[in-house]
Amino acid sequence: MSGPRDAEPKPPVRWGTHLFLASFAVVTLFPVLWVVKMAFRPEQTFATGLNPLPTVFSLDNFRDLFAAPHFWQQMLNSVIVAAVTTAAGVFLACTAAYAFSRFRFPGRRAGLMAFLVTQMFPGTMMMIPLYHVLDQLGLLDHLAGLVLVYSTTAIPFCVFQLKGYFDTIPRDLEESALMDGASQFTIFWRIILPLSRPAIAVTALFSFMTAWNEYILAATFMSDEASYTLPVQLQQYVGDYTTEWGHFAAGALLVSAPVMALFFLLQRHLVGGLTAGGVKG
Amino acid sequence: MQTGALDAGAPRVGLLGPLLTTLLAAGLALVVFGRFAAERADAVTAWAAQAAAEALARDAAPRARVAALAEAGDGPALLPRVVVDDPAPRKYAFLRVLRYAAHPERAGQGLAPDRDADKAAADAFGRGARRPDLRWVGGDVARAAVPAGPDAVAVVDARRAELLASPALHFVAVLAGALLGLLAWLALLRRGPSRWAAPAGAALTGAGVLAALWWGASALAAATDAAAKGLALRTTGVPAPPPVAAGEWALLFAAPLLPLVVFAVIGAMSASRRSPHRVAYAYVTPAMLGMAVLILVPFGLGVALAFTRHEHGTFTFVGLQNFVRILKSEGFALTHPLSFYFTLGVTILWTGLNVALHAAIGLGLALILREPTLRLKGVYRVLLIVPWAVPNYITALIWKGMFNKQYGLINHLLGLVGVEPVGWFSQFWTAFAANVTTNTWLGFPFMMVVALGALQSIPRDLYEAADVDGATRWQQFRHITLPLLRPALLPAIILGSVWTFNMFNIIYLVSGGQPNGATDILIVEAYRWAFEQDRYGYAAAYSVLIFLVLLAYSGLTNRLSRSAEGAYG
Repeated sequence: MSGPRDAEPKPPVRWGTHLFLASFAVVTLFPVLWVVKMAFRPEQTFATGLNPLPTVFSLDNFRDLFAAPHFWQQMLNSVIVAAVTTAAGVFLACTAAYAFSRFRFPGRRAGLMAFLVTQMFPGTMMMIPLYHVLDQLGLLDHLAGLVLVYSTTAIPFCVFQLKGYFDTIPRDLEESALMDGASQFTIFWRIILPLSRPAIAVTALFSFMTAWNEYILAATFMSDEASYTLPVQLQQYVGDYTTEWGHFAAGALLVSAPVMALFFLLQRHLVGGLTAGGVKG
Repeated sequence: MQTGALDAGAPRVGLLGPLLTTLLAAGLALVVFGRFAAERADAVTAWAAQAAAEALARDAAPRARVAALAEAGDGPALLPRVVVDDPAPRKYAFLRVLRYAAHPERAGQGLAPDRDADKAAADAFGRGARRPDLRWVGGDVARAAVPAGPDAVAVVDARRAELLASPALHFVAVLAGALLGLLAWLALLRRGPSRWAAPAGAALTGAGVLAALWWGASALAAATDAAAKGLALRTTGVPAPPPVAAGEWALLFAAPLLPLVVFAVIGAMSASRRSPHRVAYAYVTPAMLGMAVLILVPFGLGVALAFTRHEHGTFTFVGLQNFVRILKSEGFALTHPLSFYFTLGVTILWTGLNVALHAAIGLGLALILREPTLRLKGVYRVLLIVPWAVPNYITALIWKGMFNKQYGLINHLLGLVGVEPVGWFSQFWTAFAANVTTNTWLGFPFMMVVALGALQSIPRDLYEAADVDGATRWQQFRHITLPLLRPALLPAIILGSVWTFNMFNIIYLVSGGQPNGATDILIVEAYRWAFEQDRYGYAAAYSVLIFLVLLAYSGLTNRLSRSAEGAYG
């Protein structure tokens, strides 16, 4: 901020605003704190009372979780699926978004429309046909099947984000590089991509989240316990009649932790990367 | 990308593209056909076994004959009866497995389920869960088991090898079709450059391959049918009825068509002289291909499913019957919770309310947080994104617990103020409120972040100028902030409303549709039809309708967002 504002005295602390924001934050965090509380108490019932903070610190639930038959394998499955999905999703989205942003070719509008329209497919109803397709490809119960499905699910949204961002990068850079003799690929790789780091970070985050948190498709396509991903295993603790809340909460913490860590690392990019290109000028 | 060799003289440009494409298409067709042939052989083998087992179960005469064959160590067998009932497995209906176990020692015992034994028995029958009463044992032998009276289960093994008839003929047919197409394409190209040469060639190649596939498939189907009937006759002495024309393998055809067409079109395009587009297609193809196979194809299959009726594992074509029944609300009064219109109304109300709340809260928070002199801004921002970061099925279950009548936190709080504990999920409006609360909690961070970003790009000078002119905060908001926010917020709102319309997790997990399916939205309703009632065709029709509603909605909002972009110039 420049100009006359520097000369003003420091503005008073806005107690009203802080109070409002603080109470909002408390309400927002409440359910999450509840999960933490239940993860650290040894009982399996839903915690009652008003206090969201843990009163007991027991690691029993975590111990039980680690001792479950295929836990570490399932953790590895989740990591592999999420990592490969992120890599593949980002790669596919970057190249496609670049083409949509920079080239005018027949089918461009149709392609963009297709990406938008596929967002509208009721995802849960794609389950049967997807099951069929994966069965034909022989990819049921294989991590590769999950990776393929997740990557393509994440693409439309990521292409939109990246395209919007690429649109805001001025073309002069590319044109001068072209005149200097660079090929399209060099421009893409060395100029556009480094400039789009925030947007790519957001895309990677979304792809990662899609793959890491997803449970319905994983539960449908994987029948062998050793091929489960973490969210599927987590659902085993939720029964039709009773839920093992302690174990579930502990598992929920384990599942949420990496995503939350990534969120916090990348959150300053979130604001920029999501909207650049939405408002021009 | 002005690269050399491919851009040289006329004939060389024309050949490589179509040649590669045709070979690729032919290869793909061969793979598809091979899978189809295998699938067909599997299905018919299984059917033959099933038909024979049923014949055995029905009549005594075949049983005597079969017993004789079994004595000689050849042919089907009769096992003592074992019935194993799997108690409500957690998996979805179409994965439910009926088990006929080859545990003679359990004959005559009660129906007490033994999970490990059941699983072992099911595994012993080999892979495959689509036809629950048929199993594959050791690669190419299908085993069918049918109850044959109170004491016995008829088990028939059929060998797939017996049923595959001259696949070589069909291989040649496919290849011939592909080559025909290629020849036609080359002939067209030789006539000189013309706009229509490439697309026409592509179409011809595609048509040739498809024709070959169709002919090969029909021939294979006829051959395997005859062989299967022969097997049944030979085994039991009873001629088997013709197999039900399964709609499934017709649906199978839809699947490989799309990638073939995509390939042909891309090949045609790349064969033309416009090289810049070739680059563009190269960049776009990986994503589009993935989308074609894993989104468009399942979608096509889903739409095809909507025209069928599913009963006990078989699909029959019924035309528009499903759609008519849904739209006529057959069997339900219009205001019944299971009626399409009631659910549509609930869904629209759900979407509108949620989006309004998300936008209002998100924008409000963003405006507060935008204040540059506010301390701890970053902290608040981080804390307020948390609902977005945690997987939503976890928090949905937590919220469900918090709304629980006995031990829920909400009722506890209300009790402190002296209000009676509310049965949140026993009436429509309270259950609906619980859903909306949860989804609002989940959804406002997204809007907040979008609004924050959009607000950042509004230049401060505008506000300073407005201050100088004496505009109030409210006027500034209405005339500066809102119009400039529209281009960024509108896409987010449109996207958000589509997501909310199809928000399955919250409704399914929080209220579970209570009371009596009233709070179910369209997508949950469709899910229940498919996986709780096994009515896949009906559910598929439901989802097609959902898609059409959303398509109409996006058509409407398209005009809105175009006008918004226009406003900004």
